[in-house]
Amino acid sequence: MAQIFSKYSNTLARLSIIALAVLVISGIGLAYALQNSQYVTKQGIFVEQPVPFSHKHHGGDLKLDCRFCHSAVEDSAEAGMPTTEVCMGCHTQIWKNADVLKPIRDSYVQNKPISWWRVHDLPDFVYFNHSIHVAKGMGCVSCHGRVEDMPLTTQIKPLTMEWCLECHNHPEAYVRPNEWVTSSEEWSGEERARLAPKLIKDYHIQKRTDCYVCHR
Amino acid sequence: MKEQDPNLYGLMAEFATPESLVESARKIALAGYKRFDAYSPFAIDELDEILHCENSWIPRLALAGGLSGAAFGFVLQHYAAAVWYPQIVAGKPFDSIPAFVPITFEMAILGAGLSCFAALMFAYRYPHPYHPVFNVERFSLASQTGFFLAIEADDPLFDSVQTKALLDEMSSEAVYEIPK
Amino acid sequence: MPIQEQKSDDHFSLRDESILPKGESFESVTRSISNGKDAVKGRLAFRLSLLAALGMVFLLCVAVTHLFIRGIGIFGNNMPSAWGFPIVNFVWWIGIGHAGTFISAILLILHQNWRDSINRFAEAMTLVAVLCAAMMPLIHLGRPIVFYWLIPYPNSMNLWPQFRSPLMWDMFAVGTYGTISLLFFFVGLIPDMATFRDRAKSRFGQYFYGAIAGGWRGSARHWSANKTAYVILAGLATPLVVSVHSIVALDFASSILPAWHSEIFPPYFVAGAIYSGFAMVLCISVLLRRIFDFGRYITQRHINTMVYVMMSTGLIVAYAYLVEAFIIWYSQNPPEIQVALDHYTGAAAPVYWSVIVCNIVIPQILWLRWARCNSYCVFIVCIIINIGMWLERFLIVVSGLSRDYLMSSWAEFHPTLWDFALLLGLLGLFSFCLLLFVRYFPVIPMYELRSSIFKSKAHPKSSEVLS
Repeated sequence: MAQIFSKYSNTLARLSIIALAVLVISGIGLAYALQNSQYVTKQGIFVEQPVPFSHKHHGGDLKLDCRFCHSAVEDSAEAGMPTTEVCMGCHTQIWKNADVLKPIRDSYVQNKPISWWRVHDLPDFVYFNHSIHVAKGMGCVSCHGRVEDMPLTTQIKPLTMEWCLECHNHPEAYVRPNEWVTSSEEWSGEERARLAPKLIKDYHIQKRTDCYVCHR
Repeated sequence: MKEQDPNLYGLMAEFATPESLVESARKIALAGYKRFDAYSPFAIDELDEILHCENSWIPRLALAGGLSGAAFGFVLQHYAAAVWYPQIVAGKPFDSIPAFVPITFEMAILGAGLSCFAALMFAYRYPHPYHPVFNVERFSLASQTGFFLAIEADDPLFDSVQTKALLDEMSSEAVYEIPK
Repeated sequence: MPIQEQKSDDHFSLRDESILPKGESFESVTRSISNGKDAVKGRLAFRLSLLAALGMVFLLCVAVTHLFIRGIGIFGNNMPSAWGFPIVNFVWWIGIGHAGTFISAILLILHQNWRDSINRFAEAMTLVAVLCAAMMPLIHLGRPIVFYWLIPYPNSMNLWPQFRSPLMWDMFAVGTYGTISLLFFFVGLIPDMATFRDRAKSRFGQYFYGAIAGGWRGSARHWSANKTAYVILAGLATPLVVSVHSIVALDFASSILPAWHSEIFPPYFVAGAIYSGFAMVLCISVLLRRIFDFGRYITQRHINTMVYVMMSTGLIVAYAYLVEAFIIWYSQNPPEIQVALDHYTGAAAPVYWSVIVCNIVIPQILWLRWARCNSYCVFIVCIIINIGMWLERFLIVVSGLSRDYLMSSWAEFHPTLWDFALLLGLLGLFSFCLLLFVRYFPVIPMYELRSSIFKSKAHPKSSEVLS
């Protein structure tokens, strides 16, 4: 009766306390790692589209400008998706019988827009305007990555608020001249360091971090 | 040093009253024993002095914990509100020091409380469910009505015969051997 | 216990050191408190109350599940009264918790040895009350799943909580309060858990209590460390008694609503908290005396002393009501006067006058000796005080919000059945946890009583002790 626990119970009790601590700390660590993982941010996940459109082919090989298809990017909140007519402008001439383009032709004949799936999906409580970013010299590549290298389009930046704020706090690290907005060329080093303060001044760029800027 | 039974943790004497426990503990301390302990079902203030219980490190640790808690609380608020994401709210300055006082205070109390608790648990060596003294059948009374005194075998003065004789001399009810 | 015997108890003088009946020994307190928990099991009253409490806990589960599925629209909360019952309950429960800390910490430091018999269950009551309270703001969030956003940690939003807001102070205050109360309770519990371990008859009991006791063996060195740390923890808990409800009061006082923007709120809330807390401790004491046979250790003297403390804080509360009215008149501030008139004669008048009657008028009966000695009377008055304090919180939270500066934003609050289900469910959770505590844990700290017997020098000599 007197001795209830065995000799090993001291070690066991201490180990279980250590194990509990390790469990709690690793649980927190796991949750912490998870918030920036691609399971949460959806980075690098390919979205199945009605037509396997290749930005690599159109933008990279054929050197089409982004604005050829996303024509509203300079003057509206949404960059805009190309109408079926824009697609058909070329594809009545080339690859006009390709099986893979059948949904485009169907859309054209039936006068029904194609349902593309959104790749960069911001939460509904965030207000984002493409035109202001483009007008202030924020290149497409800063948020979308080198799209002209993507056979299938995917989101490569995390799109977390932390990531948005990184640029809103340090616009000088990202701003580029307006004429290079759609270019994917690396924009860094001496030239940027020299030009950035001037661009910030010319474009009247402010560090906008008030809540209402994005959450209206 | 004389040869000793390696399986002997020490010798334990049982006493009927707290007074006789205190008296015997005093005698054993006078005899020069260092590694002995008294066990009782409630705190007996007289034993602190006899056993040279030194606890002043606990309040010091609590103070250190309280100060670091306060510093952590204040630096956290300063860093979050004035450095990391400065945001004007209600027209108050970024470092709204009066508004930071409650959390600094609460963190001080929390830091002091947690470190005091941790210090106490360390003093107890908690959890320590197995201990040789529990091998004595009657020792289960130590948490109820019994008063015990154990001299450990690794005390330099310990000698199974002489120490037992010493304990027998005292007003103890019984003397037991404590197996390891 | 017959009434006559209680009356004789009442002749204890406040200066009398003895808080225990004559002839108690180390053995008898240990035995009767340990056996008390097993004796409880067979009581019909215990079984019935456990069943009733379980039913109310079930109601709470249903209400919370419904809330999580449908959202807080199931409550009467609506603009402008966006806080409603959940925050009323929060403020009320936190207040009730205060008496436990007051008894265990402040009275320990003041060497009030009568606290030894009542501090354990008062601490348990504090813990359960803080649990009930802490639930409220969390489930009252529109998205309870993101409650952890209250905790400051580096996150992917790069955002930090708003540290200038009293709601954040509240999170820290309640969190610290709950933690320190738990540590204090746990440190006090360890030696008694060892007693239960050594008296346990079943293997499971030995392991269960032994695991909590963690090898406590009553070593003098441990006792010495315990004494040091216990006083430090008490000293740390003492400012919490004052600060926690002050910070809760700042939730209101630092806003700009006419009924809330008032400097008197922090002390007024603290007095109200200790008042309602003591009322709850008295309710439980009376029940423990009458139903669970702990009358030997929770004597009429304890009831008397607690009633005195409660009535004194009640007078402070009454004074606060008066000062509040005076300041409103003295300020000559029209919106404030509008709110006051609404309390005295307007839509809130029934609640306001109920508060006055429940908190100020009826309790005065306890100044009479026969009323204090009558368990039923003490119990009923304490229940009435608790109802009154709940109504007072209701008056502050709801009528404050529904009388803004702009008449166009005035609107009445209408509770729904789910509001009442939540209130009832929390009472059930509270009772359920306390009943389990009475069943499985020492309601009265045995080692403190043994120590009291030792110090009173009236303990029986050798042979009787170890019989």
